[in-house]
Amino acid sequence: MSAAQLLQGNEACVKGALAAGCSFYGGYPITPSSEIAEQMVRLLPKHGGVFIQMEDEIASLASVIGASLAGSKAMTATSGPGFSLMQEHIGYATMTEVPCVIVNVMRGGPSTGLPTSPSQGDVMQARWGTHGDHPAIVLAPASVGEVFDLTVKAFNLAERFRTPVILLYDEVIGHTRESVVLPESVDVIDRTQPTVEPADFWPKDAAPAGVPPMPAFGDGYRFHVTGLIHDHRGFPTTDGDIAEALITRLHDKIEENLDEVTDVETFMMDDAELAIFAYGIVGRSAHEAVLRAREAGIKAGLVRPLTIWPFPAAEVAAAARQVDTMIVAEMNLGQLIGEVERVAAGETKIVSYLRVDGEPITPTVLLDLCVSGGGGSS
Amino acid sequence: MSRNEIRIAGAGGQGVVTAGRILAEAAILSGSHATHSQVYGPQSRGGASRSDIVIATEPIAFPLADSIDLLFILSSDAFAKYEPELGPNGHLLVDTRCAPESLNGSATQYPVVDTARAVSGGQLVTGVVALGVLQAHTQCVEAEALRQAVAARVPVQHTKMNLEALSAGMGLVGGESS
Repeated sequence: MSAAQLLQGNEACVKGALAAGCSFYGGYPITPSSEIAEQMVRLLPKHGGVFIQMEDEIASLASVIGASLAGSKAMTATSGPGFSLMQEHIGYATMTEVPCVIVNVMRGGPSTGLPTSPSQGDVMQARWGTHGDHPAIVLAPASVGEVFDLTVKAFNLAERFRTPVILLYDEVIGHTRESVVLPESVDVIDRTQPTVEPADFWPKDAAPAGVPPMPAFGDGYRFHVTGLIHDHRGFPTTDGDIAEALITRLHDKIEENLDEVTDVETFMMDDAELAIFAYGIVGRSAHEAVLRAREAGIKAGLVRPLTIWPFPAAEVAAAARQVDTMIVAEMNLGQLIGEVERVAAGETKIVSYLRVDGEPITPTVLLDLCVSGGGGSS
Repeated sequence: MSRNEIRIAGAGGQGVVTAGRILAEAAILSGSHATHSQVYGPQSRGGASRSDIVIATEPIAFPLADSIDLLFILSSDAFAKYEPELGPNGHLLVDTRCAPESLNGSATQYPVVDTARAVSGGQLVTGVVALGVLQAHTQCVEAEALRQAVAARVPVQHTKMNLEALSAGMGLVGGESS
C-alpha cells in the first residue's frame, strides 16, 4: 500500500482509469469534470495512451467508441450539458456492444443550470437518456477512494459485458479532497478474444445471455458494425425474431449476472427500525446521521447503493421489509425514490427529503428526520 | 474523536481554494485525517469563494462542513454571506478591512489583506497569510508541516514569497487588535 495522499475525486478517477488500463481519452472539458481531462492530457501520453480533445461531446463519445473498436480501453468525462449530447452514442455503444466508460460529474440543471454546484439530477437520464429498450450499468461512488475503486469496476464491467458503463457522481465528490491510500495494484478484466480462425468468425455469435468475443479492428478478423438491428453476422435485418433475440440478449447478459454488477453497502442495519436510503455524497451525510442517531438511542441504519442501475431491487426490498420507516434523500426532486417505492410499496413507510438549491444535504437535517421518525419532511 | 471544521471564505483570486488544500495537506503531514471541499462561482476573479477543511483524529464519515468551529472571512461579500451562518459555538476570524464597526467582541481581527499586499503587491497570497494566522491562532496543524505543505503546493518560483506570506501571517498573532 502507498502512503496517504490528499486527492480530489476527479484525480482519483484518473488514477483508477490508468490502473484499469485506460489507453484512450476523447473529451471536451466541462465544469465540474474538467480536472479529469486536465490530468488525462498530462498523464495518458506518459502511459502510452492517446488523449484527444474533440470539438464537442457528440464527437467525444464517437472517438471513444472508435478507439474501443480498435482495441483500446477508452473513456470520456463530462457533466449534464455534455451528457445530454452523448445520449445518441450511448445507445450506439449499447447496440454495437462496444465497451467504454462515461463519467458524468453531475451539476445543477436543467440546461447550463448551476455549473459549480452539486446535484443528483441526472439519475434517470443515466438510465433512460438514450432511446429504445436498453440496459444500463450506472455506478455511484460516495468518496474519493470509492471513485478510484468504481472507475476500475466501470472499466472491468464494460469489458466483461461489452457495454457502456456510466460512472455517476456529483460535484462535491468530484471536487472534494480526502486523504486516501490507493492500492498498489488492481484486478483487471479484458474483453474476451475469439478462439476461431478469422475465416470462421462472426462478430455477434453468442449464447442467449452471452457476450460475444471482441477482436480489434486490424487483428485480421473482419466485421461490420451497425446501430441497426443486426444478426449474428453483424449485418442489418428487420427479422422480428432476430430483433427480439438481440434486444433480449443485450439485457440478459447483464440481468443474469447481477452478482457481478450489484453492490449495496448496508451500515448498522442488523437491528435497524429506521433506514436512510441515499447514494453519492448524500450517502456520506446519511452515514454521519446514522452514527449520531445511534448515539441518541435511535435504531437507524443506512442502505447505500454503489450500483444504482440496474436498481438493486432485492436488496432494497429486503431492507424495507425490516424497517418501519425508510427515508429516501436525494439532491433532486425525486428520481431514485420511484424505484424504492416500486420495490418497497406496502412494506414500509417511505419518506422523502429532496433538495435542489445547489447545496448538499447535511447530516443535521437527516438526523432531525430520524428523530421525528420521518415526520415533518418535505 | 475530535473533529475540527474550518471555513476560509473570501473572493475569487485571493487563493482561498489553494489555501484550504494546503491546510488539509498539512493536517495529513501532521498525522491527522483531513478533507477539503470548495465552493466557487463561474468567474475566475471576483465572486464568492470558500474552502472548508475538516481535520479529525479518526476517519471522516461526512467530508463537508456541517457545524463550523472556526470561520475565517477575507472579503466583505463573504462576511455578509457566511457570518450569519456561524453558530453560537463557532469562532470568527476576520480581515480588518471587511469587519463592520459593530462586530461583536468574540471575533478577532487581523490585517490579512494589507499584509498580503505588503508581501506580494497584490491579493494572491491572501489565503497563505490567513493560513499563517490560523496556525498561530489555533495550532490546528504543526507549523513545520504547514511550511512543508506550502512549499510543496505553490509554484517553485513563488515559494519564497509564499513562505514569507506564511511567516507574516504567523507574526500577526499576538499583536492583533481585537
